[in-house]
Amino acid sequence: MPFVEKTPDTTSNPLTQFINNLGASQGRNTINAEDCLAQASEVSGLYIHIPFCFHKCHYCDFYSIVGDENQQTKFVERLVSEFAAVAPYITQPIETIFIGGGTPTLIEQNLLSKMLGAIATHFTLAQDYEWTIEANPETLTPDVSTRLAEGGINRVSIGAQSFDIDCLKTLERWHTPGSVAKSMQHVRNAGIENVNLDLIFGIPNQTMEVFRNDIKQTVDLSPEHISAYALTYEPNTPLYVREQRGDLQKIDEDLESRMFQETMTILEAHGYEQYEISNYAKPNRSCKHNLMYWNNKSWWPCGPAAAGHISGRRWRNVPKLSQYLTGFGLPSIEDVETLSENGQAGEALMLGLRLRDGIQSDRVDQLLQVKGGQWRRKVIEEHIQQGNLDFASSLRLTSKGLMVADSIIGDLLMDETSMVDTTMQDPNAKK
Amino acid sequence: MHIRNFSIIAHIDHGKSTLADRLLQATKAVTERESRDQLLDSMDLERERGITIKASAVTVHHTYNGEDYELNFIDTPGHVDFTYEVSRALTACEGALLVVDSTQGVEAQTLANAYLAIENNLDLIPVVNKIDLPSADPDKVAMEIEQLIGLPAEDCINCSAKTGEGIIELLDLICSRLPEPEPAKIKQTRALIFDSHYDEYRGVVVYFRIFDGSLKKGDRILMMGTGRTFTITELGRYTPTPTPTQEIGTSQVGYMVAAIKTLEDVRVGDTITLDTDPAGEPLSGYEEPKQMVFCDFYPASSDTGSKKTEFETLREAVEKLRLNDSSFTFEAQHSEALGFGFRCGFLGLLHMEIVQERLEREGGAEIIQTAPTVNYRIELTDDTTIDIHNPADLPDPTLIKHICEPIVRVEIICPDENIGDLMRLCETRRGIFKGQKFVSAGRQMLDYELPLAEIIYDFYDKLKSITRGYGTMDYEIIEFRADKLVKVGILVNGDPVEALSMICHRDKAVARTRIILLKLRKQIDRHQFEIALQAAIGGKIIARETVKSVRKNVTAKCYGGDITRKRKLLEKQKKGKRRMKAIGNVHIPQEAFLSILEQGD
Ligand SMILES: Nc1nc2c(ncn2[C@@H]2O[C@H](COP(=O)(O)OP(=O)(O)OP(=O)(O)O)[C@@H](O)[C@H]2O)c(=O)[nH]1
Ligand code: SF4
Ligand SMILES: [Mg+2]
Repeated sequence: MPFVEKTPDTTSNPLTQFINNLGASQGRNTINAEDCLAQASEVSGLYIHIPFCFHKCHYCDFYSIVGDENQQTKFVERLVSEFAAVAPYITQPIETIFIGGGTPTLIEQNLLSKMLGAIATHFTLAQDYEWTIEANPETLTPDVSTRLAEGGINRVSIGAQSFDIDCLKTLERWHTPGSVAKSMQHVRNAGIENVNLDLIFGIPNQTMEVFRNDIKQTVDLSPEHISAYALTYEPNTPLYVREQRGDLQKIDEDLESRMFQETMTILEAHGYEQYEISNYAKPNRSCKHNLMYWNNKSWWPCGPAAAGHISGRRWRNVPKLSQYLTGFGLPSIEDVETLSENGQAGEALMLGLRLRDGIQSDRVDQLLQVKGGQWRRKVIEEHIQQGNLDFASSLRLTSKGLMVADSIIGDLLMDETSMVDTTMQDPNAKK
Repeated sequence: MHIRNFSIIAHIDHGKSTLADRLLQATKAVTERESRDQLLDSMDLERERGITIKASAVTVHHTYNGEDYELNFIDTPGHVDFTYEVSRALTACEGALLVVDSTQGVEAQTLANAYLAIENNLDLIPVVNKIDLPSADPDKVAMEIEQLIGLPAEDCINCSAKTGEGIIELLDLICSRLPEPEPAKIKQTRALIFDSHYDEYRGVVVYFRIFDGSLKKGDRILMMGTGRTFTITELGRYTPTPTPTQEIGTSQVGYMVAAIKTLEDVRVGDTITLDTDPAGEPLSGYEEPKQMVFCDFYPASSDTGSKKTEFETLREAVEKLRLNDSSFTFEAQHSEALGFGFRCGFLGLLHMEIVQERLEREGGAEIIQTAPTVNYRIELTDDTTIDIHNPADLPDPTLIKHICEPIVRVEIICPDENIGDLMRLCETRRGIFKGQKFVSAGRQMLDYELPLAEIIYDFYDKLKSITRGYGTMDYEIIEFRADKLVKVGILVNGDPVEALSMICHRDKAVARTRIILLKLRKQIDRHQFEIALQAAIGGKIIARETVKSVRKNVTAKCYGGDITRKRKLLEKQKKGKRRMKAIGNVHIPQEAFLSILEQGD
């Protein structure tokens, strides 16, 4: 099928965006969701985005809308039509599903059940599937928890973020510290035994003491999995604006790095293994869905703003609820990017090095052999010498390298001398 | 016919150009309808800022006691930076109107310009202006003129350049009190070039005053200083519109066009004579104005890709402006951090500001400007001297006997209550107190010697803020003087960064460099290793700051939807790093150089 590939430079071009937004029926000049669907047989994971929130947290740059309950019915119907359009093309059993947002658990109970039911009907799940849903503590009532379990969900990820009232206030998170324990109890009572708690550190005015207490409270609840993130100031969030205006101050870089160290030490002592930069799990409780991302595997996105990836091509559904709701079946997509083999190798390294196990050495050899990518071997050697990387049975960051992972990854993404362009025409275009 | 040649001189804004308007109107040189405010200020910039930058000469006629008087007068700028324009104008005249604003009184440039006129043996008519304003106090101002300049109070004439009151009386006084020009001393022609300007269509237009003989259209002339010859193709007077004539005689003022291509081909102050019958001796000319303040201009472009064309635009703008203003100098300059640009010399700070504005406005160049510095005179051990304006040009320390800096004599007129604060300001700027004078009830004059380098930053702003706008100052370069001046080098992890070196006073070196190192520390991103920033005099470290090593540089989250964005972000950072200047293995962003070179602390 003839089409013009969209290069990264034009993603912000209103014209290209417009053309992309025209969607499936106008697919002649762009890649549309149908083109992606042609490769859906490679997919074994699903990401489903629910764009509703109760209130917008100040650090959040996810696509979500403080809505209007009336939209939910329409949304679920619309989403189900998308499942129906996609499912026939996904030929492998689904290993992992992740329902993220937004706040998926905000959806009215009957609709929630309907949605979960539709997923289970349309898609074929693998035997030992992992099915996660994100939730805010205050939404996890006993009823909702039961609905989730009945719907087939076997993992819940709860946004605890902090147990300190002031920190929660700074983040504009609207839940009480006590609600985390309660919600976890409800989830467990409903029979879901795999729970993740999200934690944020480096919040303005947060002291080491406050943070230690946050970790302690988290560990006391003994979730199977913990994600601990340093707070980031994403452009276009109120938090960012407040910081720029000087209304609040970022915490000291040294303190933040000590909090990171502290997280690693304490969680390890409590039997959590750090398997990714920000993720810790009890044995065999790593998040399979997220591992799929870091292993650079293919997955299919559903819902507005959801991002997908199949074999080096990335795209996302247009993040516009109103537009999404007026459509049917496959949604319009944008930000399509097809990487060259060399570009893919860069991304594979970027993602794989986030894992504490790193990348298997034979895989590394493959990645380093791609056309135009040989220069990376030298960079890797330099970082090994500097003690940032370790290369035995696998290539991995040392604990020193872990702290400055972005600098190392940056070096591996681009060749300093030639600045290789990582994108190119889609290889399929030439067929 | 009688001739009177005079200049109009004053402190800034005391009303010279407005008075010139009234003179043109009262002598019917322009009708009411043709008239507009400050008619002689023709440059856009002059009209916008309401200041005169270039002097301009016009010819009008006035009847006094039934006889015709030809009046040639020159409106001059009031600002210190353009004093050279005033002094040139004065050499073409026998008299001057010293205009003083009756609501302000005698100010620093009133004095400076009055002294200039007196030095040139000119007769002065003190004109007390703006008497239409309610706050006018002409008697007090007349007393100040008597006190400070020594012109009898009763000689002052009161007028309003706005309403026209007193203007006819002033014209009469010009005829009765100013002297008739002296008759020719020799029979050969001698004319003094007191100004020139570049006209896109006709080439250089030369302004002259004839002292001996006459000039005719078609004459073959010789410039006595440069030895170059030209043929006069057009001769005329400004009335104030340019009016061609066939001949201009002794004591008269006029302009000529003679197929002169660039301003470089004429020297203001040179004497014109006839090639066929040249004079033996030239008239005494002027000293070339000396550039005292220097700064660099670089094309303002962050994008390396188009840097070359931006430099071309800047070069064209500089060359074009130079055609119009021969009082600034330029030379190509290469900075490690900012690429190719020009180091330019100016007569003063306002001059610098005006050049920058004209380059941007008339030349379409976008400019990054570095902080101004002064000219240093280096006395070498072999008893020769060299002038430098770039610390990088300093010879080896073992060859240097003294570093001398320009010293200025500063006169400040201010309200009594600010004397203490101003004296403190001058002390912190290494000033030497020279005297204090009574001006009139409530006002005093302070006299100081100060290093020029100490006043080019923000001295004038400080003066204005201390005196809430009432203080005025004038300065004059008096000499180069040796002091404890040293070259301070900046080292990044032990490597010297020449672009950041500077010359400053030993006693101030520590404080100045501390500020610089702090700025630098904020601008340099943390690296994977610690970076030492040091300031050194010779081998001795005088200040130190450290950029700590990165503790943590790792993105917390990277899930499915973040991957592309994250990759692009890291690539962008990488590209940004490439645009930085590498000193050893330390990457310094352009902005860091700029923030240090920029004005102010
Ligand atoms: N009320 C009043 N205002 C006047 C009079 N003379 C000049 N002005 C005003 O004073 C201001 C300055 O006048 P200019 O004629 O530009 O002064 P200048 O001395 O030529 O100034 P520079 O060329 O910058 O040195 C203008 O706003 C004039 O309108 C006067 O007699 N009465
Ligand atoms: S609940 Fe989650 S998705 Fe919703 S605003 Fe807060 S952080 Fe963003
Ligand atoms: Mg003027």
